[in-house]
Amino acid sequence: MRRLLKIFRRKVVVPKPVLDEGLPFKERYLYFKKLLSANNTVLEIMADMEEKLSGEYIFDMNYIRTSCSKLVDSVQNIIVNLDKLSKGKYPNLYFAFAKINSKIEATLTNKTDIPVTDFTIPFDSVTKEMVNSVGGKNANLGEIKNKIGLPVPEGFCISAYAFKRFIEFNELKNKIILNSVDIVDMEGLNRISREAQDLIMNSQIPPDIENSILNAFSELSRKISGRASSPTASVRSSAIHEDAQFTFAGQYKTALNVNTDNVIEQYKRVISSLFSPRAIFYYKSKGFEEDDMVMAVGVVEMIDAKASGVMYSRDPTDAEKNDIIINAVWGLGKYAVDGTVSPNVYIVSRDEPRTILEKTTPVQEVMLKCNPKEDVVEVEVPEEIRATSCLTDDQIKFLADYALVLEKHYDIPQDIEWALDENNNFFILQTRLLRILKEKPVKNIQAITSGYKILINKGQIACKGVGAGKVFFVKKEEDLEKFPEGAVLVAKQTSPKFVKVMNKTSAIVADVGGLTGHMASLAREYNVPTLLGTEIAMKTLEAGKEITVDAINGNIYEGRIEELIKAGKRENPFKDTAVFKVLRALLNNIVPLKLIDPEDEKFSPDYCETFHDITRFAHEVAMREMFQVADSPNIRKRETVKIEVKIPLEIYVIDLDGGIKSTSKKITPDQILSIPMNALLRGMMAMEWPGPPPLSVKGFFGVIASTTMQPHSERLLWEPSFAIISKEYMNFNIRLGYHIQTVEAFAGDNINDNYVRFLFKGGGASIDRRARRTRLIKEILELTDFDVKRTGDVLDARVTKYDKVTILKKLGLLARLTAYTKQLDMTLFNDAMVDWYIKEFVNKYYTEDWE
Amino acid sequence: MDKGLKMTEIKKLLIPLTDYPHMPYWATLEEAIVLLNFAHESGYHTVLVFDEFYKLLGMLDWREILGAIDPKFKELSPDEVSSKWSDIINSESSNQFKKPIKDFMSPFDITVDASDDILKVSYLLLQHNIDIIPVKESEKVLGVVRMHDIFHEITGFILQSKK
Repeated sequence: MRRLLKIFRRKVVVPKPVLDEGLPFKERYLYFKKLLSANNTVLEIMADMEEKLSGEYIFDMNYIRTSCSKLVDSVQNIIVNLDKLSKGKYPNLYFAFAKINSKIEATLTNKTDIPVTDFTIPFDSVTKEMVNSVGGKNANLGEIKNKIGLPVPEGFCISAYAFKRFIEFNELKNKIILNSVDIVDMEGLNRISREAQDLIMNSQIPPDIENSILNAFSELSRKISGRASSPTASVRSSAIHEDAQFTFAGQYKTALNVNTDNVIEQYKRVISSLFSPRAIFYYKSKGFEEDDMVMAVGVVEMIDAKASGVMYSRDPTDAEKNDIIINAVWGLGKYAVDGTVSPNVYIVSRDEPRTILEKTTPVQEVMLKCNPKEDVVEVEVPEEIRATSCLTDDQIKFLADYALVLEKHYDIPQDIEWALDENNNFFILQTRLLRILKEKPVKNIQAITSGYKILINKGQIACKGVGAGKVFFVKKEEDLEKFPEGAVLVAKQTSPKFVKVMNKTSAIVADVGGLTGHMASLAREYNVPTLLGTEIAMKTLEAGKEITVDAINGNIYEGRIEELIKAGKRENPFKDTAVFKVLRALLNNIVPLKLIDPEDEKFSPDYCETFHDITRFAHEVAMREMFQVADSPNIRKRETVKIEVKIPLEIYVIDLDGGIKSTSKKITPDQILSIPMNALLRGMMAMEWPGPPPLSVKGFFGVIASTTMQPHSERLLWEPSFAIISKEYMNFNIRLGYHIQTVEAFAGDNINDNYVRFLFKGGGASIDRRARRTRLIKEILELTDFDVKRTGDVLDARVTKYDKVTILKKLGLLARLTAYTKQLDMTLFNDAMVDWYIKEFVNKYYTEDWE
Repeated sequence: MDKGLKMTEIKKLLIPLTDYPHMPYWATLEEAIVLLNFAHESGYHTVLVFDEFYKLLGMLDWREILGAIDPKFKELSPDEVSSKWSDIINSESSNQFKKPIKDFMSPFDITVDASDDILKVSYLLLQHNIDIIPVKESEKVLGVVRMHDIFHEITGFILQSKK
């Protein structure tokens, strides 16, 4: 990362113009080629980054940094080569670059500051403003205790600064490298995570921090000795960004019932969970960086709860409902959030007088309790209370009041963990913002009752939506590694570990678990349609069979039901994440193109506001430089020759060696000796061209009267095309419609030298139509063995090492395709239309021997 | 009518050009037919016709297309019609299919501005007896609004205010 930053901070040195006379042509051509190559790289990276904005991809800050770094390099490359080509004619381009680059740099460097504090801080002196010192969870507990006055357990924080000191003390910063890991590569993620966690567990806590923790622990024991005979605590994660804007629900470790002998070990265990595979995935997919990965820890009085659970001050699946939702289990709260048992559910009205609208009390057979000495243990729930409600009606209403007090204080709906001790005292263990699906997440569609087989019709909806795919059972964590793209995750219990596949799964179904569990929060955050408490899914569903999960009406159907899928189409899950916002902000300085018309007086470096502007400008003037066609007094036109040809293109060629047999300034196609140019031109001339003939353009950039402001510049449509040719070589930059296209080829006697390369970008229609056109081209070219890379509306195709005749046939095909797809993007309404045009082309123009 | 409805900008009902079928004027009748068949599911039955600069020239709907398949069809007497339709598909039409849509389209005389309100637009739709109307902002065509959607907006409003 340092290296990357260095690239961004690279100083801008403006070279002085060189005043000597014209460069030799061959040398200019070399710079020109380098510029073109950098230009293509820029276009490709931009298209790739734009495609990421569609939301169908998952990416992290590392992707953004790497792409930006490549982009910056390539744009600089363009400028440097233009500088050489033009002998320093455009020094202001360097300033334009520096200005844009500094904006990009500013967007990329947003760091979390860790204030210097004591290593441990008692809850008595914590408020919500201290989040960067004590982490989100601790800050909120302090706030509840000191500002709101609701009961919370006693405790202290081990500060973020202590974590920072620990990392520095053991020199871990250079040993834990997360940047290289690709978040969709699970094996890599697991390996890096294992290494990082081992490093932490094998490192030493600095003695001063250890002392501070032990002293704070004995002070805590003293305070709570009245409440418990042998005071113990839970050691809980409180990462800096946890509970703030992002839920991080259940991503970190919590150690329960810890005593003074093992508190240091458990502290290490909790901070090492900062680097669990799923936490890294979560961090990175949300746009955080290594430097943001800082963990404070809370050491909190252990409440050996009689009952505990979670409550939401509103219904997170429906913002319009006016309900408080409380979940409760017997024993410790872990089972309420990790999906081990189905909890009691109480729905309470937010309006006064508080009324209990709904109450479900499933049978609970096991619960979690504190072991007398340390740790926790699963025990049977006493027979007599198994089927009874964990809370009395009065307790439910009392607790519901707490939810509203917390919501009022934070001025936003809250997700709260609570516990009830054996003496019937309530404690708030945690509160954080509750993610509520904005407005109505999806239309309330009608359930389908006839024509399709309903496999399951019960369950709680944890995240609304409809998803379809093949059933994939997840029975153990390893199963997640093999999780296929687009499958439906079916499990007995929910687990926050499922977050690792939330970018791949089209729906989640679990037999046990409620909508206040950690996984349910995550499912909402990633917007995965989720149905929980289905009871019989593991038994009823069959692995590999296609199902449709309607998590709006709570049904699971056999097969794919397109009408439901369509109606329940979900909003993009990633578009609200920080990493997305960064990308969007960056692209504002990269992609919008304002320099459109080369004849406009504003077509100059001073008006370049984005990298795209710079690229466009440089490409344009490089063309002029190269072909000496600029409208300036010192033009030398001797090198360019116009081809008089009856196709809607205005073509100029420059002959490197033996490409034409004439010295005239205007030639006819039969005077072209260049083998590849000939093949391409003949192919083009044999086509019936769609669209209008070219306007008669006077001179290279002749003025076309344009009285009204048109959606597209006419000039752009009628720019001349240029080709550099020799007997066996051609680099043909074709300007046709609103896209840019280059065909480069070598066709000689040595098979190893031969190739065709085809680059295509842009168009006049909207991006989706442009992208459909590149798909059309890709599919046709692949029929004839081109190797095609396509990203959005950018396409790069090549074939190499064919004999001359085959190379020429492929050029013929490209010629037909060029004519066929001219401004075709406008028409491509949907994918079916693309398929139709492909078929048409193949029927009419695709034969091996077509001339 | 009530002020609330008058103030509704037409933008709210706009179908963006990106989502609406459109073609350049040199596209053939056959291509337009194919397009409208694929667009059928979306409920669109008009093709907007543009020139190479994305300037709006006209439109082509079902009516014009069926008329175009055999230009003489419209001139038949009612008695001739039933026996004629199958012949049309075989002979005359294949030539017609290859012709550019500019030969069949009807021009757009009226457009509305994105800031215009629903009432003005519904007035124009009724006055000119048309089903869709292009919406512009400066010189740019943003998309179209349909009688279909206007009808629902207005009648929905009426029903609401009666309650």
